[in-house]
Amino acid sequence: MNILVCIKQVPDMESRFKVDEDGTWFDGADLAWRMNEYDEYAVEQAVQLKEETGGDLTVLCIGPERVKETMKKALAMGCDRGVHVVDNESFKKDPFAIASIIAEFAGPKNFDLIFTGMQSQDRGSAQVGVLVAEMLGLPCATTIVGFSFDNGVISVKRELEGGVKAKVTASVPALVTCQLGLNSPRYLTLPNILKAKKKEMLVIPVADLSKTQALEETTSLYFPEKKGTGLILEGDVADLADQLIKILKEKTAVLA
Amino acid sequence: MQFKLTDEQKMMQDMARDFAQKEILPTLKEDERDHRFRPELVKKMADLGFFGCAIPEEYGGNGCGFFESVLLAEQLAKVSGSWRVPLNMQNIGPSVTVNRFGTREQKERFIPAWVKADSFGFFAITEPNSGSDVAGMGTTATDRGDHWELNGQKMWISNAHVGDWGLVYAFTDKSKKYKGMTCFIVNLKDNEGIVTAPIETKLGLHCSPTGEIAFTKARIPKDSILGEVGQGFKICMWQLNNTRVSCAAGALGIGGGAIEAAINYANERTQFGKKIGSYQMVQAQIADIVAEHEAAKLLVYQAAWLKDQGMPNQHQTSIAKLFASEAAVHATSETMKIFGSYGFSTEFPAERFLRDAQSLRVVEGTSNIQKTIIAGIALGDVENR
Ligand SMILES: Cc1cc2nc3c(=O)[nH]c(=O)nc-3n(C[C@H](O)[C@H](O)[C@H](O)COP(=O)(O)OP(=O)(O)OC[C@H]3O[C@@H](n4cnc5c(N)ncnc54)[C@H](O)[C@@H]3O)c2cc1C
Repeated sequence: MNILVCIKQVPDMESRFKVDEDGTWFDGADLAWRMNEYDEYAVEQAVQLKEETGGDLTVLCIGPERVKETMKKALAMGCDRGVHVVDNESFKKDPFAIASIIAEFAGPKNFDLIFTGMQSQDRGSAQVGVLVAEMLGLPCATTIVGFSFDNGVISVKRELEGGVKAKVTASVPALVTCQLGLNSPRYLTLPNILKAKKKEMLVIPVADLSKTQALEETTSLYFPEKKGTGLILEGDVADLADQLIKILKEKTAVLA
Repeated sequence: MQFKLTDEQKMMQDMARDFAQKEILPTLKEDERDHRFRPELVKKMADLGFFGCAIPEEYGGNGCGFFESVLLAEQLAKVSGSWRVPLNMQNIGPSVTVNRFGTREQKERFIPAWVKADSFGFFAITEPNSGSDVAGMGTTATDRGDHWELNGQKMWISNAHVGDWGLVYAFTDKSKKYKGMTCFIVNLKDNEGIVTAPIETKLGLHCSPTGEIAFTKARIPKDSILGEVGQGFKICMWQLNNTRVSCAAGALGIGGGAIEAAINYANERTQFGKKIGSYQMVQAQIADIVAEHEAAKLLVYQAAWLKDQGMPNQHQTSIAKLFASEAAVHATSETMKIFGSYGFSTEFPAERFLRDAQSLRVVEGTSNIQKTIIAGIALGDVENR
């Protein structure tokens, strides 16, 4: 099996965000960075598959120098080698441009299976994986919460709206995007963290892979306006309950 | 000078934090209440390689040193003071000591078992009538030709009643004073002459087992001696200088955990219409404990780093242990005050941090004993080793 997993470095979501000077993205200066949560499930699943079937597992990440730290985590989790596409302005690229870069790299490599997160925690477009599959002409299953592989066929469980699940099978080569619930990433072990240091890290300037222009542009990024204060109900308990039920019936779909 | 953790060290720190949050915290309240030690958790730590620091790879070492072990201890203690103790019991105490003084056979036989937590380690120095005065101990080992016979009582021994193999210090020749002390590698289980019992009246560290050991004509094989006969005191001091830094790292954790809780509370609690953190007196409390904590961190990291470089470090280790323990006690005490009545409640973590922190200035040499070491070296009476 020749496997690729694509990861993104995102800010720790507990951070205090500031809009940057251009007003089009957040200011990255004082943020702590980590692996996109959904990508952790993707890496874990890819590593489990590799442990099961053997083969070779590459992790790819686009971004500035600092993304190496996140890539090292993927290597410590069990990926065999890293491909760092160096791009100091990756945050300006839209999902189409990012997917094009990945497809440009992956195209000639003939991966049997590509794993991505279902979306990134910062941009949240949920498009990159799907676009890569489209560009490479691969079958694609999104938001997977279950995965198995047997004899060249993947069987996945997808999570749909309203808690509905769907079972999908596809022959490899294929691409899947991973959702919370797929697995619980195992803890890194100290020896594996140190072993990751010795693994190969291929560095590619983004110009070598970037053959398209972005199709979208973020024109402005801002915090939503603060809404007015909540409604405070007063009175005795029975009265409060009646008022609450009335509001829930009239103003929401919670009670019919 | 380099004050930055490597990417690998950061990953280890993150992993230990994550481990503590997911494996220790969820059941901590009940575990504390029931004084529950969880052997399976020690096993899990072993599987992740927690106990292979400062050990050669051939005996199960993980390629890391004291520095990394200190990072782990700090993160574990931030959640629970009890749960940094296994690092000393499995790794920095017996394993590192046997690696330094043991024969090849002893290293092969004991170290991998401690590192994998197949054998629970311990070290037994303290007795009912001797603590700080190590050479005042009464336990004896008598040569009976085909075996050693141990007699005496040890007290306040971490892991006593759950321990398998560990180190026992005893006099082989009392007349030679500290030069008559010897270190033995002893199995506490399956020996008719050895009885252990838990001490269940501790103020804190409820998830870390502490107990007593009684030796009554206990037969110990001839080849149980670590190092040489009469080398025990030297080995003991060498060992304590290592376990001390782990304890100091525990102090960073307990102090740091308390400070985090204090800051969150000061940002949430309002009185007189304002956050209590907006009052200068509360700010002064927080400034003091944060400053002391940051200073302690540099001292502890320095001591661990010196050990990994193989440089003299007794002075810096004792300074780190003294300063970090006292800083932790101060931090937890100020945290109690900031929490007000909720600090006095067992529903909130402040009181547990305070109780656990108290142990830090007693174990691995009291604060007074650290001062004796620091002053002795500062005055030129003793060499820094
Ligand atoms: C939770 C816990 C776990 C422990 N685990 C272990 C373990 O695993 N193995 C082990 O061997 N021991 C262990 N101990 C014991 C610990 O190491 C001793 O308690 C410690 O060394 C102090 O000895 P002591 O209690 O007898 O106090 P003492 O030595 O009697 O001291 C009493 C007081 O007198 C002061 N004092 C004593 N001598 C001097 C001096 N010369 N100058 C100035 N002041 C002095 C001390 O600072 C202290 O304040 C543990 C203790 C606790 C609480």
